[in-house]
Parts: sequence; C-alpha cells; structure tokens
Amino acid sequence: MTVSTGPRASVELGQTARTLSRGPVGAVLLHAREGRTREAVLRVALAAGVEVRSSIAAADGRSFVDLAQQLRDAHPDVVIARVDRAKGDELATLVEAVRLGCAAQRPMPHLFVLGDARAAATLATRAAPIPGETFATDADAVAALRALRRRDDETPPPRAEETERAARNIASLAGTDTLVVDVGGMATSCVLARPAGEIVAVHAVPLGVGAGADRVVADGGIDRVRRWLPTPIDAPALLERVFNRARWPDAVPTSPGALALEMALAREAIARALLDGAAAGLDVTGMRAAPVVALGGRLAAFPRAAQSLIVAVDAVEPSGLATIIRERAGTYETVAVVAPLWPRRSAVIRLRHAGGETEQRVARGGFFLMPAKGRVGLTATGANLRGTVEAGGLGLLVDARGRPVDLPQRDAERIPTLARWHAAVSALPV
Amino acid sequence: MAWRYARWTAEHALPIGVAERRDLGTRVRAGDVIGAGATAGNVVRLAGARRLGIAAADLARLLRVSVGSEVVRGTVLARTGRRFARTLSAPTDGRLMHLTADGDLYFAPAAARWIVRSTLDGEVVRSDDACVAVAGAAWGLSGLAAYGPDAVGELALGVDAPTDELQPSRLDVRLGGRILVGGARIAAEAITRAHACAIAGLVAGAAPAAGLRVVYGNAITAAGSATRDDSPTVLCLVGFGTAPLPREVFAPLAALAGSRAAIHASSARLFVFAPADAGDFAQDAPDLTLAGDYGAVRPLANGRATAGEARFASEVTAEALRCGGEVIPTANVMPFDAER
Repeated sequence: MTVSTGPRASVELGQTARTLSRGPVGAVLLHAREGRTREAVLRVALAAGVEVRSSIAAADGRSFVDLAQQLRDAHPDVVIARVDRAKGDELATLVEAVRLGCAAQRPMPHLFVLGDARAAATLATRAAPIPGETFATDADAVAALRALRRRDDETPPPRAEETERAARNIASLAGTDTLVVDVGGMATSCVLARPAGEIVAVHAVPLGVGAGADRVVADGGIDRVRRWLPTPIDAPALLERVFNRARWPDAVPTSPGALALEMALAREAIARALLDGAAAGLDVTGMRAAPVVALGGRLAAFPRAAQSLIVAVDAVEPSGLATIIRERAGTYETVAVVAPLWPRRSAVIRLRHAGGETEQRVARGGFFLMPAKGRVGLTATGANLRGTVEAGGLGLLVDARGRPVDLPQRDAERIPTLARWHAAVSALPV
Repeated sequence: MAWRYARWTAEHALPIGVAERRDLGTRVRAGDVIGAGATAGNVVRLAGARRLGIAAADLARLLRVSVGSEVVRGTVLARTGRRFARTLSAPTDGRLMHLTADGDLYFAPAAARWIVRSTLDGEVVRSDDACVAVAGAAWGLSGLAAYGPDAVGELALGVDAPTDELQPSRLDVRLGGRILVGGARIAAEAITRAHACAIAGLVAGAAPAAGLRVVYGNAITAAGSATRDDSPTVLCLVGFGTAPLPREVFAPLAALAGSRAAIHASSARLFVFAPADAGDFAQDAPDLTLAGDYGAVRPLANGRATAGEARFASEVTAEALRCGGEVIPTANVMPFDAER
C-alpha cells in the first residue's frame, strides 16, 4: 500500500510515450477575464478542429481543487492558453491546476500558449513537467494542433484542410466570397473564403449526423432537432433514434423518417457551428451573406438536391442572393439560387431569362421554387433585391420567411408549416 | 465473439486527493479497495518559499511532510535555519494538496472520504495519482455504453427470456448488492427502483435514452457516462430503446448467475469471475442490425445473401444484404463485438 504520494509524485512523474487517444483531439481552453481572450483562444480551437471539452476563465470562482478535478475529468490531449503581456500572471493559478489535475495523466497533455512571447514562455515554463510550447501566431498554433491530431490518430482526419482548399478554389474561380458547409459524421465545417485567399473557418467537433449526432442533442437539446421534423414524433422516441444513430456511425437511412432525422440533425449541427463561430467573434454575418454557398459531405449526399438545398437554407439562413452548389462525385453542381426577402406587405419578383420573362407575387412567409434555367436577371418590386445569377437545376428559391426563420412552437402549427416547406421544394419522398 | 475468457485490464481513475493506493504487483479481488482519499474543503494558499526566505525550487527539499499527506493543525510543514529557524505550519487539520512552481502550498481540510474499488480479480499493473489499473483473467462481455459508477456483486437473472423487459415489480431489497440481468429493455422506473433497493448494477440489451437522461442528466451521450457519485449503474449491451439479447449472449448470463461479477463503467464491460471451463460460452454471436427508423437494434437471423446495390424507401442507394425476405443496407449490419 502506498500511503500519500510524496512531494515529487504529483508533478514529476516520468513521461510516457505520447500517443493520443482515438477520436478527436480534446482541448481545454484557458483564458483571461476579458471576453476577447476567450474569443481568441476559441477561434484557434475552431480553426484547428479540436473538441473543446472545457473552457475556464481566470476569474472562475471555483476552488483550486475543483478546477484541477474538472481538468482531470476532461482528460485533455491539449490545453490551450492565451496570455497578455500586462497580465501574464493571470493564468498562473490555472496552470497550477493543470499540473495538479493532469500531470499524472497518461499520456500527459500538451500545453500550447499563445499571445505575448515573454509571458507565454514564462507560463509554459511554470507548467513543467507538462510539456509547454509557445506560438507567435494563431496560424502556427492551428498548424501544431492539426499536426497533433494527425500524428497518432488512426481514424480518418476530419475534412478540415480539404474543405478549406475547396473554399479557396471556389472563391478564386467565382471571384466572390464563398461559404463551404460540410457536414460529416463527427464534424461540421463552415468555411468562408474570400477571393484574395483569406479564410474564416469553423470546424465544430464532434457535431455531425453520425457519431456526433448525440452531441448535437446534448449541446442544443432534443427539441432543437425535433422542431425540424415534418412528421410528429415524441422526444423520448426521437432521442433513442439519435443515440442509436450515434453508435452506428456509417448507418444508411432507409426510411423517409430516418432521412428526415438526418436532415434535422444536419440543420442543427450547422446552426451550432455558426453559433460557435459567433461566440468566437468570427464573421458569421459574412458567412450568411456569401453569394456562393457550396455544400459538402453528408449534406451534399442526400438523394435529392432539394434536400441539400432546404437544409442549407434553413440552417445557414442566407441574407442575400446566394447560389447553392453541392459536391457530387468530386465536382460541384449548381442546385438553385436562393432569393431571401422580407417585403413590407408583398413583393413582385420578375425573372428575365432565355425562355422569356416570369413574374410572381410574393407574400410574407412565402417559400417556393420558380423554375428558371441559365442566366437570369432578377428584380423585385417591394423588396430590396436585384441581381443577375446563374440558376441551377431547381431554379430560383424564393424565401420570404424572414430572418431568423421562425418556426411555430405548437406541433399542430409547426408540422403543417414544415410539411408545406418540404412540399414546396419536393424535399421528402412521400 | 461476444463472451471471451481473457486477461483484461481495467483502469480505475482516481479523484484528486488520493491518500492511499495499492502498490504495483499487489494481488486484489474485485470489490477490494484499491485507492482511498478525501475530497478537499476550503482550499487555502500558503506562502511557502517566500515565508521561509528560500528559493522556490528549494522548498520541496525542505518540506517535512510529503505533498498529499494528511496532517493535524500545527504540524510543521517546512522548516529552515537552525538557531533562528523559520517554520511553516498547518493552519488546520487537513491535507497538503499541491506545491506550486512559485514555492507556495495549497492546503485543504478534508471534506469527505472516497474509496475506489477494483472491478477485476488480478494484480495492480499501474498505480499513480491519477489511476490504478488492475489486470486479471475473467469472463468478459463488452457492451455499448455504461452509465454510473463501477459496480461489483453477484450476477442474478431479472427476466425469464432475452426478449423480456425488466419489470420494476421484480425488484426488491432481497436483490440488494447483486448485478441484475435484464432482457431487451430496462425502463427508468426499473433503474431508479433498483437503486433504491441497493441493487449494485443492471445489465440489459438496451435502456431508453430518455430514461437515462432522467436518471443521469441531460448532458449524457450515447458514449456512456462513468461517474463517481451515488447513482445506479446501467450497462447497455446492444443499443438504446429496445434490443433483445442474442441467445449466445443471454445463455451464458443465465448459466453464470450466482457468480461474482463486476461492471467496469468507463470501458462498458461486464466481468464475471468464473473458471475458464465454466461453460462453452465463447460462441460467435449473430450480427446486429439497426432498425430502418433507427429506433431499435436487433440480432440478425442467419441465412443472408448479398443483394447488390439496392434503392430504399428513402431513395438512398446502397450496398445491401437480403435476409429472410428483407433487404438491409450492409452498413446497417455490424458484428456484435465490433468496436464502436
């Protein structure tokens, strides 16, 4: 029997071979009192696609041992801290809590310190024996976090880099801002690329329609998913389906109900990713305003293009004219153009295209497709909308539901509304 | 293969504040205490090196008690000098929790005691502040997800057939301390009643996810949730909702009833301590398939053939199997012991 641990045991255990556990890299974020430092460190985590297991502020009121216990329970692969020059010591207590909580963990977590070089170096030194590294720029930290993920993980890496590359390419080719939305089994990415090559990325892990389905529900609540289902189902029955789906990562939806569930999960996963992006101070408004929205992953793999379209429109809520394209067999096909408007009373939309001219009156709450092909000139009377777009296979989707999209609370009103929206674009097999 | 007689390793995470733990190589039995300690009360930070007038790095050398030790009020924690000595004493009864890089000490009174018990018969193969791992041979059955703390007790049957639901009416205090085997489902009422009757743990094909949330909180996920608090222990072997147990899984559970057993929550495993030749339990279990609406999981009957690419009601096209007149996507079929 070992009685007590001795002065050396808690902080000076021999290091073991550092292999990461399977699955996403788990991170704990340490930040100063100010919201902007939390945003900065969260931005790095979201850009790198690591799972944020806990976020602790220097002003946290809990006791030192409680903080250490939380860190131990989080079992992080990496602890990410951000320090300011003037307040270098602010995180010292949290780093001591990391030592107490995680020094005996196998493998030991890494401590990544960002911010002022001198303060970061001091903090990293204090963390011994936990290996500390400092980073001059956020980009260096993101690269190191991604390398950490790849080094030992045998599971396929999230499509973060692939998604960012696709976003850059499309933005460069289209010459305009492009949002790529990729929903996977365990990761949801929203990447805004500008023609000059600048990237704003959110890789929310583990949120998705497969192994991350249960986390979508745990983070947002089951009713956030249930509200998107166009058929009645009680919350307990839905929860069972979500949990089974989560433990069956490669499952294929064979029934329309299962497909509707995956569509609902995808909507909520994207919405959560955008919320995370907003919490990190990222340009979510710019994402919603992107003139091109490209869909990838499971979101693009729904059998009907209309299914990908309605999920993307409900979740992203484009704020301006947006061309929706989706990935099919390695290339992108244009699905439709979304025309969001919120007329004071009603508006008249006029389309000029090769086939002639089409005119349609739009009332508030309207949601329908206008068939169109090729290059289309669009004007609207009674709403601020004008442009020339390349219509996709489904034509033009007029979305006058307003922003944010408001769903009735009661099932008796919500389900017919959802059924009408789905029917308007033929999004569900009958 | 669902059941396996093998040498397993079970890691038992220790909370902060460990006072005693078993040494490497010590033989233990399931249920033995392998770690004990105390949770901390109000933590105070004591100026150590600064008070003694020494460098922070020297404090560890001058400590009179080791970090982690429990001391009584007034105990000299560190002392320096000879004729004009400077000392640092314990302000209350409590424990020396941590030595900081600055040379300060965190000290806390003990608020409550905790113990961690082994879930395997075997020997300690790792012992440190964070974890005690025990390795030993046992009959083992890997489940899908476990909720609650580890549990140790005698295995007992709570249902007559693998397709039955464990009824709350079958649970009473006479079953206290046992690990009870349910069939296809354990409802939340049965879980809470079992806990009230001091039943050590429950094992079944599935439990309703909503019921688990009622018992363990809304933050739980399908991956399980190993806890240390006083809550029931539930091991789901197959899925969520309803999932009848295959005969190859249920028959050994019935045959091993009366044996000592343990649920290791963090790895979602059931260990049963019976001789290797206790029975012909190591049989291949049938594959499992997920229901079309994801609402249940069931064992797949034998006699299947590939059906090539099939188009389903959802309009999804996927590789499929034909089994008893039913076409199932290959992706929705998984071996019982697949890593998930």
